[in-house]
Amino acid sequence: MEIEVTQSKGVTIVAPTGDLDMGAADQVRRVLTELIDKGQPKLVMDLGGVGYIDSSGLGTLVAAMKQARAAGGNLKLCGLQDDVRSIFEMTRLVKVMAIHGTRQEALASWG
Amino acid sequence: MTDGAAEGTFVLTSEPQHLAGLREWLRGELTRHKVEQREQFGLQVAVGEICSNSIKHAYAGRGGKPIHVSVRGNDDRLVIEVRDFGKKFDPGAYRPPDLEAVPERGVGLHLVKQFVDELSFDVTLEQGTRWTLVKYRRGRRPGSRTP
Repeated sequence: MEIEVTQSKGVTIVAPTGDLDMGAADQVRRVLTELIDKGQPKLVMDLGGVGYIDSSGLGTLVAAMKQARAAGGNLKLCGLQDDVRSIFEMTRLVKVMAIHGTRQEALASWG
Repeated sequence: MTDGAAEGTFVLTSEPQHLAGLREWLRGELTRHKVEQREQFGLQVAVGEICSNSIKHAYAGRGGKPIHVSVRGNDDRLVIEVRDFGKKFDPGAYRPPDLEAVPERGVGLHLVKQFVDELSFDVTLEQGTRWTLVKYRRGRRPGSRTP
């Protein structure tokens, strides 16, 4: 899986491309954990390039969200494709995770 | 059973990296069985979760172990079987996830149940577990009205 990491006004944008499945979850977990450990807990995860996610991928994002919040930040999501969004709805994560339509909206939400 | 003779089988080994190849094969099978595009994603998730469970639990993360996936269908339904040859599934040890607690793991079978009409398992085999996932064609589910 390709993962692009960029910065914008103190927020780190992580944009993976590919399937966020059991095979890619460890890679994503390492990237997010490293960012948080480096003192960058304000994160936007742009899932526009992710067409498939499974429970391992979800677990990775939930763990990173908890880790980021504990460090004073958050992991906010944006760009979810319809199929991917349905997984967040079925697991009720839409109620607890910050999910925005676009990257610009997610960035703006940091104020 | 009397499901159609057309059956495809895919054999993967228990490395997570092989799940992408399984999904690609499954997309072809589902298309061949005329499964609607919007249902294909859900069935890919369901089959992927069962295989992930086999990798994690039946084989405890060890690679190189076989998982067989087969698809067969008729006018009424699609039947997908996933077979592993490792530690048998223990239904007594399974706890449905508490979604309100925002769990980091344990939601795989919950997702499977969202996407299939019937889910069963057989642990009476000499080795491993055989999972059977059934998805009825639109309007063909027992008890449903004819469209």
